[in-house]
Amino acid sequence: MRISFFAVPAAAAMLAGATVAARAETAPQQIDLSQFPAAAVQDVVVPVPSEIFNVLDKLGSPNWKGELRDSLGKNTGNRAQVALLLGTVIAEGFVAVEAEDSERVKEIGRDVLELSRAIGVEKAVVTRSKAIVDKADARDWNGTRRELDGALQDVRGAMNELNDEDLAQLVSLGGWVRGTDVLTSIVQKDYKPQRAELLHQPELLNYFDRRLDGMGPRLRKSELITQLKSMLKEIRPLILEGEGRQISPESVERIHTVTNKMVVTITSSDA
Amino acid sequence: MALPLAVQATVDDALSFAYEAATPYVKQGFTFREDAWGGDLGVGDQKAVTAQLFKGNEYWFCLGTDVDGAVVTVHVYDSKGKLAESQNWQKGRFAGTLVSPKQTGTYYAIVEVKKSSEERTHWALVYGYR
Repeated sequence: MRISFFAVPAAAAMLAGATVAARAETAPQQIDLSQFPAAAVQDVVVPVPSEIFNVLDKLGSPNWKGELRDSLGKNTGNRAQVALLLGTVIAEGFVAVEAEDSERVKEIGRDVLELSRAIGVEKAVVTRSKAIVDKADARDWNGTRRELDGALQDVRGAMNELNDEDLAQLVSLGGWVRGTDVLTSIVQKDYKPQRAELLHQPELLNYFDRRLDGMGPRLRKSELITQLKSMLKEIRPLILEGEGRQISPESVERIHTVTNKMVVTITSSDA
Repeated sequence: MALPLAVQATVDDALSFAYEAATPYVKQGFTFREDAWGGDLGVGDQKAVTAQLFKGNEYWFCLGTDVDGAVVTVHVYDSKGKLAESQNWQKGRFAGTLVSPKQTGTYYAIVEVKKSSEERTHWALVYGYR
C-alpha cells in the first residue's frame, strides 16, 4: 500500500533525538530476492524530478532556464490528457525551481489549481497551490520543492478517493515523461556516462507498463495511452543498457526524441 | 489500495512515527518525500518495497510503527540481493538505514516486524534524499 504524508497529524511528527541509544542492526550481506512472492513486494514510489536534478547539479551546472518550456500546454477537456498535463506541469515546476524563476513557479502554482479544477480535485490542492506561490515569492526553493511534491501527492490522493486510480497514475507518468525529457536534454548537451546512468530505471518502466496494462479497456485503447505504451516499449531496451554497460549518447538522444514528442503530444490541443 | 477507515487511520499513525524517525535527517538537509509505503505485518513477516535510487544522492529510509513495544527493522539491498546500506540503526518502534547507491537502479528495502504484542503490526516507511 502507498500512503501520503498529507494525512499525518503534523504535531505528532517531530520529536528530536530518535537515534539516541539506537543500536546498529546486523543483517545478512546477501539475500535471495526471488524468495519474496509477488504479494510481498510493494511497487516502486515514482521519484520526483528533483531527486534526479539534485544529482545533475552535483555533476555540473546545467542551464535550467534554457530547459523551461515556453508554454505549459492546453487543457483539451479529455480527462486523461488533463491528468498527464497536470503531471508535466508539476514537473515543470521542479525545473523552474532549479532555474530559480519565481514568476514561472507562481504561474505553475496557479496552473496546477486550474487543471485540478478541470478534473474535480481542486479542493485537495487549494492550500498547496497558495503555498507554492508564497514560497516561490519568498524564494524558498526547498520549501517550493516540498510543496510541489505535496501537490502531486494531494492530487493523486484525491483522485484515488474518487476511484480514479487510473488518472492518478497518469499524473505520475506525465511527470516522469517531462522529467525524462529534461534529463535527456541536459545529458545530450554535455554527455557524461555518470549523467546518462541516471536513466537506468528498469523497474520504474515495468511499473508504468503494468499500470497502463491494468487500466480500464476504454482508456487503455485510447490514442494517448497507446502512444504512451509505444514510448515505453521503445525506451525500455535503451535504458536496460545501464545493466553493466554505459547508456550511449545515441540512446540518450533517442530517449530524448521520444519523450519530447510525448510531451508535445500531451501539451498540445490535439491530444 | 482502498483500506477501511480504521486501518487507514492506524497506518497514518505509523506514518507519524516514521516521520518522527526522519526528523534528525531533515535537520541535516535531507528532503523527505510525501509519497511513502505502508501496511501491516505479523511477527517475523517481511515486506520488500521497491525503490528507484540514483547514484550521487544519499538516502535515509526511516521506518515506524504505532504499536508500543514493537521492534521493527529495515535494510536495503541492491537488485542482486547484496546489502547496500552504509549505516543502520534500530530503536524499538523506529528504525533507519542510510544508502549511498553505488549504481543508479532498483533497490529493495526489506521491512520486518521482529517483535510485537499485536497480531498485525502497522508500519510506514518514508525516504529522504540529499
